[in-house]
Amino acid sequence: MTYGQIESGDIPMIWHIVRKEIFENLLSLRFMLSLILIISLFAASSFIFVGKYKQQSQDYWEKTNKNVADLSKNLGRLNDLAFFEQQIFHKPKLLALCVEGYEKSFPNYVKFNIFTIGLPEVKASVNFTLPYFSDVNWVFIISLVLSFVAFVLTFDSICGEKEAGTLRMMLANKIPRYKVLLGKYCGAMLTLCIPLLVGLIVSLIIVITSNITGISGLEWLKILVVVILSLLYLSLFVFLGVFVSCRATCSANCMVVLLLMWVSLVILIPSLGRTASNMFSETPTRVELNRKLYETERQMWDNSDKFGKNAGNSYADANDPRMNLPARARLYNALTNAKNGIIEDHHNKMTAQALTGRNFTCLSPTAVYQRASEAVAGVGIGRCTDFYRQAKRYQMNLKEFIRSRDAEDPDSRHLIFDEDNSRGAFDWRTISKRPVDFSTVPKFDEQDLGLGHSLKLAIWDIVLLILFNLVFFAASFVSFLRYDVR
Amino acid sequence: MKERESGMIWKIAKKEFLLNLMTFKFAVGTILCVVLIAVFVPVLANDYQQRLQKYSQQVTNNEAKLRQVKAYRVLTPTLFRRPQVLSVFSQGLEKRLGDSAKIGFGIIPDFDMIPEINAGPAELNPYLSIFSTFDVLLIFKIVISALALLVAYDVVSGEKEQGTLSLTLSNRVARAHILMGKLLAGALTLAVPTTVAFIVGLLLLLGFPSIDLQASDWARIGIMYIASLAFVLAVYNVGLLFSCLTKSSALALVLGLFFWVLAIVVIPNGSVYLARRIHRVPDVETRNEQIESVRGQLRHEWSEKHNELPQGGGAYAAEGPFGGRGHWYIIVCDPAEAEYWKKGASLEMSLNSKYGRKLWEVEHAYVEGLLMQTQLARSIGMISPTCLYDNIMSALAGTNMADFQAWIASAGTYRQTILAYIRNKTDDLRDLSYITQSTEAERIAWAKGGEFSKGAVQAASEHTLPLNLEDLPRFTYSTGVTEGLRRGAADLILLFVFNIVFFSLSFAAFQKYDAR
Repeated sequence: MTYGQIESGDIPMIWHIVRKEIFENLLSLRFMLSLILIISLFAASSFIFVGKYKQQSQDYWEKTNKNVADLSKNLGRLNDLAFFEQQIFHKPKLLALCVEGYEKSFPNYVKFNIFTIGLPEVKASVNFTLPYFSDVNWVFIISLVLSFVAFVLTFDSICGEKEAGTLRMMLANKIPRYKVLLGKYCGAMLTLCIPLLVGLIVSLIIVITSNITGISGLEWLKILVVVILSLLYLSLFVFLGVFVSCRATCSANCMVVLLLMWVSLVILIPSLGRTASNMFSETPTRVELNRKLYETERQMWDNSDKFGKNAGNSYADANDPRMNLPARARLYNALTNAKNGIIEDHHNKMTAQALTGRNFTCLSPTAVYQRASEAVAGVGIGRCTDFYRQAKRYQMNLKEFIRSRDAEDPDSRHLIFDEDNSRGAFDWRTISKRPVDFSTVPKFDEQDLGLGHSLKLAIWDIVLLILFNLVFFAASFVSFLRYDVR
Repeated sequence: MKERESGMIWKIAKKEFLLNLMTFKFAVGTILCVVLIAVFVPVLANDYQQRLQKYSQQVTNNEAKLRQVKAYRVLTPTLFRRPQVLSVFSQGLEKRLGDSAKIGFGIIPDFDMIPEINAGPAELNPYLSIFSTFDVLLIFKIVISALALLVAYDVVSGEKEQGTLSLTLSNRVARAHILMGKLLAGALTLAVPTTVAFIVGLLLLLGFPSIDLQASDWARIGIMYIASLAFVLAVYNVGLLFSCLTKSSALALVLGLFFWVLAIVVIPNGSVYLARRIHRVPDVETRNEQIESVRGQLRHEWSEKHNELPQGGGAYAAEGPFGGRGHWYIIVCDPAEAEYWKKGASLEMSLNSKYGRKLWEVEHAYVEGLLMQTQLARSIGMISPTCLYDNIMSALAGTNMADFQAWIASAGTYRQTILAYIRNKTDDLRDLSYITQSTEAERIAWAKGGEFSKGAVQAASEHTLPLNLEDLPRFTYSTGVTEGLRRGAADLILLFVFNIVFFSLSFAAFQKYDAR
């Protein structure tokens, strides 16, 4: 027999093992139970998602149309546009089907005019008496139930065969150990893929046939990335299961260790986040925010002369010599900028506090996987920050629009600043009062992040997941090579 | 004969118990549990200690402000909710509900009027809702219940596989006794980690200087211990049933684990989910509109009735210690207008009770709507022993919604107490002392000196000493063992029923079990 012949004889061997594993798994009760549980969970979650998405879209469009309608109704002149307070809301996302990212209790709306932008707030009926819970969606099912199934499928993969005595027989053949290991791994992964893929397909069919919305190319790509992430996540659990199975003396003990590992990794460590966040940083409060705003305002008023003489004075006649309108504009703009900065800072502190806790929980692959999928699907805390950023960018655009229109009007003083008096009481003509065409006004539309950008956000988590895989693979590999099959 | 039978049960139990103690799973489960408790109880206790500190500081501040009250009109203290020491065991809603209530009356001219009792959810960082709560309950709920399942799964089917079951049955021992023995053994085995965890947790807790447990706390901890045992036994019984139903222990384990995932993960999440779908919570916008409309009515009625008062109101006022708009009392006023202030005070009070109540009702109806959803979620969750256990523990720890409601109700009673106290002191508001302490002479001096008679104001301020509120009843609130037990009783009974049902099922299954 030449070397080449052995090679060609070996390749089907690994395939034999994989096939044997799959068939063995498929016929087992545990597989049937998992299949039923998982598919029913996927189906239930999709039906519920469809209902929720419809409701959310309806609410969203109602509120958004109201905002646009109010805008057009109040839009007589350019200065009205400048002072009009817009209210914008989070757009419901189709990819919340994959992962919801706890957005139901996050701030989902912000109020602004071209000068000031408020703190994002929760505009929904949130029941504060309900316990914290996560919606059932793909990532929830995969991270909790499928990871568990991965352990259930692998706990006896090595030590179970040893107990049955079949491992010796297999190794008595000319097959290298690593191939046996890979065969076991592939068998378990392919078995896991069956409920996963069937569940995903059922879920997608439910969503597509319900006709709520089309799935765009970008969304398909993102779904694909989430599926790949899920496979990476499940694969590390399979490796871990095989590893522990190599180390354990009997399959019962192996199950014990795996169960307790699962409890720690999937449930306990992720729930430590809140404690960690509270330990490492104080929760920023409204009282604190208001105090800061008040103090900054007072300080600026006390030093109002810094912006020019008489900046603090206000009279009905814009040409009154006791008044200095340009200086006043500078004062007010500095004031609104400072306030906006403080509010943004407050918001950043809130998100930072949550992210600190989350970094802490990244000892658990479940938290890493959830974070990565949220980044890819464009939901969660990252989305909230991005929404706020987009709102600010829109605000700038609108301001630029007003500035350029204002520049065309020779009657205007071209002083774009926000003071109650200049809005109505006094006719200072700081901003042009020419009529403005509604169709030319830029409107807000929340944009999804592109795939590249999303992946960039998730890159470290993906690296971590791969790292977890490599570590557990290496561990199981070494353990199995030195395994005593007797 | 009877004695021999019970002796047999005990023998089997002892054998099983000793065997269990030697197993790997028992060692790993117990160690994990103790380590988790040892690491996290200090963290949780520290958190409690900080909250307690904040609470005492707030109470002290409030007390200090009470000593500065110079007229009954500004006697509007804030009430604080004492953090529950047992929240270390079960956090429940402790941190999500507000920890203070503002009592509102006597601030009518300020139309931002608050309801009778103003207390709502605590201000939290919304982004932190990505994390679930962590407490000792979670460790018990998950680790010890998993251990219970691991102890139970091979109790019958495992012995069958080894062949020892047929040996045992070949003796003259009744099947019922064997099963009883196994149940007893399971209870004893699981009592070990539960007891150790409780003892370690309590020792660590007592190590904190500011934590001292009252007799009622000890009683509640005792009941918590019993509930924990009942819970782990319930999971054990489920495992036992699967073990009696299957031929192989591996199958029993797989079935048990699926039950466990359902009970721990799927049902608690799913029940909340379903409840949210079935019962919609009242709309917050509607509530805000209702509040606005009540305030509108109040404004209207005030301005209408205010016109009927004898005109006037020339007075020198100062802000009361508790702060806020409309929170003022009078240092000195025009004697001719004293009548205005007297009538104003009683109008203020009558409108206040009317609209304060209305606002409170709006708030209350809103919260009741939320509670119905929560109640529904609880009812759906009752099919899982985990949810039952959760409810019992939070009821005993005094951290569930019922406790918060009771606290609000007691704040309402205290409001009535203060109101009665004020009415008593001011001759049912007919006395001017409700709003000012100035003497007739000072008022005349002030009126003579014209509107800005600084000397008269100074004399009156010097004369206005803080009220002696020694005899004002202070707000106290405490939950006893009985309340906790009453609130958790239904769940506790259900948990026992769950145990009995599953044991009877195993009993029936074991009678027919083929031991070959």
